[in-house]
Amino acid sequence: MRKATSKVNFASAINGQKLARSNSEPASLSRKKHSNRIFWFQMTPALIILLIMTIAPAIYLISKSFTNSSLLDSNSQFIGLKNYQSVLTDSSQLHAARVTGIFVVLVVLIEMVSGLFFAQFLYKKTRANSVAGALLIVPFAVAPAVAAMIFRELLNPNYGWVDYFMGLVGLPPQVDWLGNSFTSWIALIVLDVWQWTPYVTLILIAGMSALPEEPLEAAAVDGANTWQIFRHISVRLMAPFIAIALVLRTIQAFKTFDSFLILTGGGPGDSTSPVNLEIYRVALQSFRVGYASSMAILLLIVTSILTPVLLRILGWATKSEVDKLAFK
Amino acid sequence: MKERKMRIRPLTLLSKLIIWVWISASMLPIIFMVSTSLKDSDIARQMPPQWIFKPKFQNYLDVLVGADGHSQGFNRLLLNSFIVTFTSTILCLLVAFPAAIALSQPKFTRRKFLSSWILSTYMFPPIVAIIPVFIFAGKINAIDTYPVLAIPYAAFNLPVVIWILRSSIEQIPKEIEEAAHVDGTNGWQYISKILFPLTVPALATGAILSSILTWNDFLFGLALTRSSAKTAPVGIQEFTGMYGTDWGSLSAASVTIVAPVLVIAIIVRKRIVSGLTFGAVK
Repeated sequence: MRKATSKVNFASAINGQKLARSNSEPASLSRKKHSNRIFWFQMTPALIILLIMTIAPAIYLISKSFTNSSLLDSNSQFIGLKNYQSVLTDSSQLHAARVTGIFVVLVVLIEMVSGLFFAQFLYKKTRANSVAGALLIVPFAVAPAVAAMIFRELLNPNYGWVDYFMGLVGLPPQVDWLGNSFTSWIALIVLDVWQWTPYVTLILIAGMSALPEEPLEAAAVDGANTWQIFRHISVRLMAPFIAIALVLRTIQAFKTFDSFLILTGGGPGDSTSPVNLEIYRVALQSFRVGYASSMAILLLIVTSILTPVLLRILGWATKSEVDKLAFK
Repeated sequence: MKERKMRIRPLTLLSKLIIWVWISASMLPIIFMVSTSLKDSDIARQMPPQWIFKPKFQNYLDVLVGADGHSQGFNRLLLNSFIVTFTSTILCLLVAFPAAIALSQPKFTRRKFLSSWILSTYMFPPIVAIIPVFIFAGKINAIDTYPVLAIPYAAFNLPVVIWILRSSIEQIPKEIEEAAHVDGTNGWQYISKILFPLTVPALATGAILSSILTWNDFLFGLALTRSSAKTAPVGIQEFTGMYGTDWGSLSAASVTIVAPVLVIAIIVRKRIVSGLTFGAVK
């Protein structure tokens, strides 16, 4: 796969100071070769496991993607690019791609903005803030499958707490949240934002508390207001941490599966059915391995294109500031 | 100066208010889960919710000791989850530790490429790996066994754990290694006597993180188990049956899944944040 050769700066940034050390050591070539062999030996188990779970599946899926293989039918024929052709022209598959894209963009955006907002007010080490920090980790510790189950019960139109509280504040009660696509989307996004905003917040709080005090104080003395300080100083100094949170959340959001399956089941209809859920259904419920393989390969191609971009952002971030702030 | 401060205050107050309303509201699902798990079935669905009631532990007894109506006791699923979590975490650490040592050695010429490749496997979508694993496990009759879960879990937690360990090993001052060499310590002694003890905190972070991610996972358990190795997060789905949801049991079962993670997460909050950013945030 292409991802195997993606060049990353994340590693080199962190290894920066280590390079000096290797140059200062005059190692003879034979010794170098000898120790490299030991390193490869130490790497072997990890490499085997990772190859079994990434490269091997990719190769297997590529080979299956050109066939009409199915677990229900032992006859499997080579059909060329037909699977790819039908995936790329199938409106429901394109719809699934859109669902994934919209979901990732929306939740990451909302979580980043709320996380920044939270961190701005919670980073100071006060007693209230440490209580807030402890409470913030709660949603994030709940297993996503459990969280989705709980949300489904909370949204129940007859017995759910959400409709009850909405009734209390005068909003129309008995909304069938999961019965139409717009409110299903809201439910999915609220669930994700509820679960993952704390994660973003905690990363950014860690970043904020590593910030030097002087520029912030100087700006305050010069008469900058909270918003100006935030926009012109905090955000810039925080850039590496923002990048780390952004990249990791984007990756995780792409993998989201539990909440789609349990909370909405992709429904109503297929209005909230993302690529992951489609692949799961075609492969493990309809057993159409060939077709599912081509879907999986297309997903892999997209991830392989995104991976170097995301890692580059991460590399840029860690190179510029985190060296000074976090890697000291 | 004073005047300006007066102008800022209301906005700050409003922001803090919003934050605390959010935090309180975000506790509601937890309050719902815990309170429902302690309610009798006849009051569990009452609307408005009964806030004051006599807590009953019957739901927990049903879930943990087993009651009629369920194909399999939930205690068995918790045990499965525990076994899989434990074995995959041990496997992950055993494999990650030597790899992290190699990747932190400047003499290792391929370390940069390998480190970034390992990081990039974090982006590999689990759903893609599941199809071949499912087919292959089916062929060797390994569906619904512990290893077929433990190995993928170990694999998918490897990038995080290797990176955590690697960044911790790299922080060991080179003077320590040089001093050890001067004292005539050989490679193995250096690793076992010096490097390992210094890496214990990072190993703990890796173990905690890998355990939480495995314990909370749903997808692999769903795809690769049927009954005898089924994990707890998959099992709670069964409390919603044809005849509606058994809210009490569902909530009690949910609490048993969430509680251990929650306790650990609150205690070692900083470590989890640091770990989840691959050791990039301290």
